[in-house]
Amino acid sequence: MLRVPRRLRVPAFLVGSVVVMWGHVLPVNAQTADATEAQLLTSTIGRYCASCHNDRLRTADLSFDGVDLSQVGEHAELWEGVVSKLRTRAMPPVGRPRPPADTYDALAGWLEAEIDRVAVRAPDPGRTHAIHRLNRAEYANAVKDLLALDVDVDALLPADDFDEYGFDNNADVLTVSSALMDRYLSAARKIGRLALGETPPAPVTETYKVPILMVQDDRMGDDLPFGSRGGIGSRHYFPVDGEYDVQIRLHRNYVNYVRGMGSRHELEVRLDGVLVGTFGFGGDEPDGVQAPASYGGNQFGDPEWEEYMLFADANMRVRFPATAGLHVVGVSFVRRFTEPEGVLQPRQSVFAVAVNEMRDGNAAVEHVVVGGPYVSEGPGDTASRRAIFTCEADGDGGETEEACARAILKSLARRAYRRPVDERDLATLMDFYRSGRQDGSFDAGIQLALERVLISPDFLFRVVRDPADVPPETAYALDDIELASRLSFFLWSSGPDEELLRVAEQGRLHDPVVLEREARRMLADPKTTQLVQNFVGQWLYLRNLRSVVPDAITFPDFDENLRDAFRQETELFVDSLVREDRSVLDLLGADYTFVNERLAAHYGIPNVYGSHFRRVQLDAAQAERRGGIFGHGSLLTVTSYPNRTSPVLRGKWMLTNILGTPPPPPPADVPDLPERGEDGRAATVRARLERHRESPACSVCHAPMDPLGLALENYDAVGQWRLTGEAGLPIDASGQLPDGTAFLGPTGLRSLLMERREQFVGTLTEKLLAYALGRGPEYYDRPTIRAIAREADSNNYRWSSIIVGIVKSTPFRMRRSES
Amino acid sequence: MILTQKAISRRTVLRGVGASLALPLLDGMVPAFAALRTTAANPIRRLGVVYVPNGMMMPHWTPTSEGTGFSFPKILQPLEPFRPYIQVLSGMHGVESEGPHARASTRFLTGVPSKPDDGSDLRGGVSMDQLAGRVHGRETQLASLELALDGRDFAGSCDDGFSCAYTNTIAWANEFTPLPMENNPRVVFERLFGDSGSTDPSVRQARLAKDASLLDSVTERAADLSRELGPHDQAKLGQYLDAVRDIERRIQMAEAQSDRELPVVEQPAGIPGSVGEHAALMFDLMALAYETDLTRVVTFMMGREITGRTYAEIGVPDAHHPISHHQRDPEKLEKLTKINQYHVQLFSAFVERLANTNDGDGSLLDHSMLVYGAGMGDSNAHASTNLPILLAGGATGSGGRHVQYSKETPLANLHLSLLDKMGVPVDQLGHSTGRLPIEPLSGV
Repeated sequence: MLRVPRRLRVPAFLVGSVVVMWGHVLPVNAQTADATEAQLLTSTIGRYCASCHNDRLRTADLSFDGVDLSQVGEHAELWEGVVSKLRTRAMPPVGRPRPPADTYDALAGWLEAEIDRVAVRAPDPGRTHAIHRLNRAEYANAVKDLLALDVDVDALLPADDFDEYGFDNNADVLTVSSALMDRYLSAARKIGRLALGETPPAPVTETYKVPILMVQDDRMGDDLPFGSRGGIGSRHYFPVDGEYDVQIRLHRNYVNYVRGMGSRHELEVRLDGVLVGTFGFGGDEPDGVQAPASYGGNQFGDPEWEEYMLFADANMRVRFPATAGLHVVGVSFVRRFTEPEGVLQPRQSVFAVAVNEMRDGNAAVEHVVVGGPYVSEGPGDTASRRAIFTCEADGDGGETEEACARAILKSLARRAYRRPVDERDLATLMDFYRSGRQDGSFDAGIQLALERVLISPDFLFRVVRDPADVPPETAYALDDIELASRLSFFLWSSGPDEELLRVAEQGRLHDPVVLEREARRMLADPKTTQLVQNFVGQWLYLRNLRSVVPDAITFPDFDENLRDAFRQETELFVDSLVREDRSVLDLLGADYTFVNERLAAHYGIPNVYGSHFRRVQLDAAQAERRGGIFGHGSLLTVTSYPNRTSPVLRGKWMLTNILGTPPPPPPADVPDLPERGEDGRAATVRARLERHRESPACSVCHAPMDPLGLALENYDAVGQWRLTGEAGLPIDASGQLPDGTAFLGPTGLRSLLMERREQFVGTLTEKLLAYALGRGPEYYDRPTIRAIAREADSNNYRWSSIIVGIVKSTPFRMRRSES
Repeated sequence: MILTQKAISRRTVLRGVGASLALPLLDGMVPAFAALRTTAANPIRRLGVVYVPNGMMMPHWTPTSEGTGFSFPKILQPLEPFRPYIQVLSGMHGVESEGPHARASTRFLTGVPSKPDDGSDLRGGVSMDQLAGRVHGRETQLASLELALDGRDFAGSCDDGFSCAYTNTIAWANEFTPLPMENNPRVVFERLFGDSGSTDPSVRQARLAKDASLLDSVTERAADLSRELGPHDQAKLGQYLDAVRDIERRIQMAEAQSDRELPVVEQPAGIPGSVGEHAALMFDLMALAYETDLTRVVTFMMGREITGRTYAEIGVPDAHHPISHHQRDPEKLEKLTKINQYHVQLFSAFVERLANTNDGDGSLLDHSMLVYGAGMGDSNAHASTNLPILLAGGATGSGGRHVQYSKETPLANLHLSLLDKMGVPVDQLGHSTGRLPIEPLSGV
């Protein structure tokens, strides 16, 4: 995402010398400025650019008068802007004389080669912040790796702001406030208690809700038994060995009658799959007067009947012993495999669900409350305690116990601080250990020291320091310890594991062979799921899925099951691409995807049964619609309005995140988008946008944007395939870009993007590099991005070729010292 | 950080969690603690700022006549019962900059433009609520409270070229530190009343002492670390140190005030499903914070800028932001007006609660100074001029009036005058050019 600089200016920073450089990380089209070539280019610029960008007019505050092409690499910021305009054919403006296509590419290619040539001689790695706070996901992962403890981090810490590129791991934006520090302090306390297994002062409860629009007609996930229906499987952390209880509340209608009382239901409670309680209810209506189905709720039945309808779940509570640690509490119905008689009813949604006065149909769980411990039998033997207690204290408070505490804290601190610990670090922690030990037990001592670890700047921040002997504004290599954290936070969103830390401590990580070996080892680890969830979740706006609210009137079929399925499909799909090291181009089109019954029905893919997600091979026709992310309901929904599609939003998303050429923001007071067609009759969005584009002020941005979105008009605002759109008019999914390229529908769009794959790979690489560094992309990153994309080209654009390319790149391994 | 001696057990407190949203339960607290009020002659002043996003349907906001006796336009109607406490201030403008939405929220309380992220730091300016908080916070456990309805976890829908930090907050601790606004009532509750899990004063005292020593120790460590870094790099550590010191100060305050009786309040379960319930709960917490004097300064964003929140509950299933680009389409205008009015309606319930709460010789409303408004005028134009602003509360010094200011009047001028009334005189705030005359009115 590169801006055209506003004026011709010498870049503020030019690298003086390179302290450390090894290998040829950046393969370059080494090319020197051939005199005749330079002359041809000068004349091209003079002919096509300088008629507006000259000393007199200074259009966009830019002049090419007296341009000197022998200094291109030295003015990289300006020329990168020119390259971007050339590559996207954005200049000269439509309607002005344009050079032939091959001149565009020749000029851009030559400029890039010139810039890259200088960059390889004097690379600018950029300057990341010295202090980089862990974001929420990183904090959770670090705690998990340190203490073998899964915490509900959404409850512990606030979300972090996104930067302007859409990532929440940008060091600049990750600020610290006292409200946040408050949460860190509180989180440290809660985590300390859970990790050590301190008995809570009083029983606590945790409520697990099932949203009302989560249809409970099928098995609700792999945590629940086969042959079950509805309910919820909750992963609950039991703080100590002891007794707990589970209490269930059922779904009710608007007058509080429990739903589904017309027939018998069996409800089961399971702990890690083992049955701990069963409840039966319904199908047993007492004789007597029933309340009429009135939609008023103001007429009552006999007291006995009212009691039957209102209090079916009053005693749905079961107490059971549980060991400390994470367990699955499953609550589900026994499924009855029968077909209902009579006319098949449409599924109810929203208002209809809330007021339903029908007594047949399925009962459903509203929430499950897990409470306890009512009896505590101590901390038990948990994964956390095994991770913490590397030795056993004898309990006499003497020297062996101190030595054990030291050993434990040394290991904890080393992993938490992601570096070797020194005597001072340890002395501080031992002070807290002794303070805690004095008031209580050995455990209490360790717990207090652990709290100190968790609020330490050494844990909360990744720190990089300029070496003392490096002159200002000079590129230098990160030290091995810093590099290890950069690598692990990139691939795992967490700190280094034991092996990576050891290699770094031995001072071997900066060796390119070792670095690549480590990167590939880590890529193969399941922890790279974090890269998929955090990078892809933000790049594809997948995280927004949680908060979209499709209009229930327009899309009555949209339910929570579908929302959940959308997310899973895209996560599983991208995860498979990375894990199988496929080409990144498969994002644009693939012959498989992941669905369950609900999603398959939405997509019209036959013969898929059950709630379990599975990989399905798509035939040619299916692949046209659902192959690649443009066919994913997730992306199509988050780029729509609640009640209609928006070709503009979809087109803008595509320009920004796929082609890397975001449109400028719209002017403040945009002219009216006519609601109706020219003749006053109903018109499609396409027709109205066409009229909008008649205004030159609008067409500048909309001409490249709208066609990309219009190609996806066959997908409605929740990603379902359709043939007619607004006002029942047929969908026309054809499009033409400003340069005349015509294409039709998702298939046409896909081939268009495949033709521009270099642009797509460049954009993806740029995004991934920004994510890896935790800073926004800069013009001086362009040579690196081009080099990585070139390398990847010869490797079929495999994910690993781009990821490893980034890891080995200058900006990843190096940093510029302070000015 | 304090629950009280009147404490019911933790189990009882959690009894109803999740069963229903504890709105009226918050009202159920109220032991008599009027005793801790300062004297009637010198009431405590409270500052509250309530921000609504995406501009305003101005024709239904601005009263048609100036001075007293104006008739309440459609959007403001819910506030009519409180006429003597209301001042509508028209015509003020906000400082211009790029990013029509980023600037709206950024400049609202700072008088400073939003700055496009060109690779360097986030940059804003200190906001007026924080200036008030720095002074009033000397006497309260929390210097200020920042509340919101929207979360911060979404991508791609912030202002082009700007970090989401600009559109997610109106409160800035200083030039470099936008303050996160909390949208989870339960977290706000814990911030006000603590999360110790115990109501035993001795346990709580011991806990406070431990916290103090933990914080003390990390301060030392951060200072060491800071010495290893260059001056520019120290900024983030500076934020960390400031935050740690702020909590240390609060702990001291909590220890000093440990004999104070605070209400037993039912802990809210989480974020309610509907905007109405959510807003009401946040307003309740805001009122509670004033009542208990845990803080005197609260900012509340009823929506982040560019929010696409839908309002099905009032018959507007469309997203707010696209509706606000109304292009003078009558249907959109009507829906936008509905949203604008709904926000005012929710705010008016809060005003009513303050009016019904005794405080010294009057009500909480008498001693509060509430600013309600948006960071842009006409939504469609993303206008920086003619901002919709109103003041509510006795502490504004006057009421029941519509004042038209000249269009050269920066909004920041109002803040200088409000800060005067809070007893925190400041000479300059961002692009302010002087103080704003707020004329006294009889009858209040």
